[in-house]
Amino acid sequence: MRRATPYLFLLPASMIFVVFVFYPSVDVLWMSFHNVSFTAKTTWVGLENYRRILTDDTFLAALKNSFLYLAVTPVLIVLSLGTAFLLDTGIRGTKFFRALYFLPAITPMIVVGIVWKWMFNEDVGVLNYLARETGLASSNLHWLSSYPLNLLSVMAVTVWKGIGYYALIFLAGLLAIPKELDEAAMLDGASAWQRLRYIRIPMLKPTIALVAVISSIAALKVFDEIYIIIPGSPQSEQTLVPFLYQTAFLDFRLGIASAMGVVLFLIVLAFSYFNVRFWREQ
Amino acid sequence: MVRRAIIIGCLACISLFMVGPFLWTVSTALKGSEEVFAYPPNLIPKEIRLQNFVDVMELLPLGTFALNSLIISVITVAANVLLASLAAYPLARMEFRGKRLMFLAILSTMMIPEQVIMIPLYRVCLELGLLNTFAGVILPFSVNAFGIFLLRQFYGSIPRDLDDAARIDGCSPLRIWWEVLVPLSRPALATLAVFTFIGSWSNFLWPLIVLRDTESFTLPIGLSLLVSTFSANYKFVAAGAVLAIIPVLVVFLLMQRTFIHGLLSGSVKA
Repeated sequence: MRRATPYLFLLPASMIFVVFVFYPSVDVLWMSFHNVSFTAKTTWVGLENYRRILTDDTFLAALKNSFLYLAVTPVLIVLSLGTAFLLDTGIRGTKFFRALYFLPAITPMIVVGIVWKWMFNEDVGVLNYLARETGLASSNLHWLSSYPLNLLSVMAVTVWKGIGYYALIFLAGLLAIPKELDEAAMLDGASAWQRLRYIRIPMLKPTIALVAVISSIAALKVFDEIYIIIPGSPQSEQTLVPFLYQTAFLDFRLGIASAMGVVLFLIVLAFSYFNVRFWREQ
Repeated sequence: MVRRAIIIGCLACISLFMVGPFLWTVSTALKGSEEVFAYPPNLIPKEIRLQNFVDVMELLPLGTFALNSLIISVITVAANVLLASLAAYPLARMEFRGKRLMFLAILSTMMIPEQVIMIPLYRVCLELGLLNTFAGVILPFSVNAFGIFLLRQFYGSIPRDLDDAARIDGCSPLRIWWEVLVPLSRPALATLAVFTFIGSWSNFLWPLIVLRDTESFTLPIGLSLLVSTFSANYKFVAAGAVLAIIPVLVVFLLMQRTFIHGLLSGSVKA
């Protein structure tokens, strides 16, 4: 084996990473300290971009909405864990349901968005029809046009699309628990609830931590469903990434948008760090 | 027996929640204009109208969009499988200076969300003349750390004796990779291929930024144009969505085992 051999195998992937990940990562930091646009000359502005965004009410509102969006994580964990328990009962036919629940997970968000935008339609949508027929609401609810209901509606879509995916991850965790544990507990007279509470849930902690990290980071990065379902709503009712997109690609304020990107990166980083630490201590 | 009935009942209710919205969209896609706005809404259309599918294809070139999506997805999958399996080989099998550092550097790319670097990424593509091209959509997604990690783990489970035997027979490292490791890692490559395909087929934000001309749009970007232009005529939007989900259903039905087993075996994409 020649000395260069290992590097040659790594070369194509490394080139892609350097050009499309590492260089842009340095560049976004550099841009965040500059006034950058496509037309004017680039000038150094120090921390001015950061000062601008941190005193901008719209940015702070979007930031707050991004944190609100994190509420999808506990909901996703509870619903997909419950679904996984049902799928793990070993009853015939669960494989069919397993595949069925996975369908929203592999459907492109644009299709999911179209499907739910129609469900949420305020005049002829199914949800308002059901809400009125069951007497839950006396008039049409503004699912997509009043804050914070519009954001909650989009969060519900994120949850709906995610359940099947996270349920499968939990199912993998459940299948990895040795059967002997359950059998031993059963011999000792533990009820189904006790076995769930004292055996399966504690054994699943690493999986729960994993899902918490993955879904929280996905929530902080959310763009597609907001852009598709509530495109017309004010930026102060949307989250960070749609605001970043607007600032960079429609307003062409690249320096300011880069500062937003760096803030987003720091939040994602802190989040994965604290999440992992919290669960390690448990 | 009672327990079984309760569980099946719960599973069926969840099914309704997961599939119901799709059925409602299919129903809308089959309705005439008046019936779309009927109150109370009827799930089963009084008259099945397939004309909507023909009409929506005339409003926007959905066939072209689907072809664009297919080309981009297939090339992205091929690139990911090739580059990841190449890069994973020395990481799993060779000793060299900087190995640990390179592996950490590759893993660190998982920490950087695409959304954070999309502005400089746009500038890179501008400089390289990649804007409004398929190459611009594909290249930033042509390899990812998850794939390299997955294959490195998988190569680790292949007995080293096989490489050693091939080396004694005079095989070069490139031939060992191609004739020993690649054929034996087919299950891992299939998992990577399927997940990359779905990711690429669904990808929204980056193609939205890179692609400008309508003829070069992918299916998701084309559909979002349909939503923003024909929101008032939702039967067309619904028809477009139904057409777009058919390829996904086909891939899913064919590759269901790879999908579900990929996930159940713990190769989770973070």
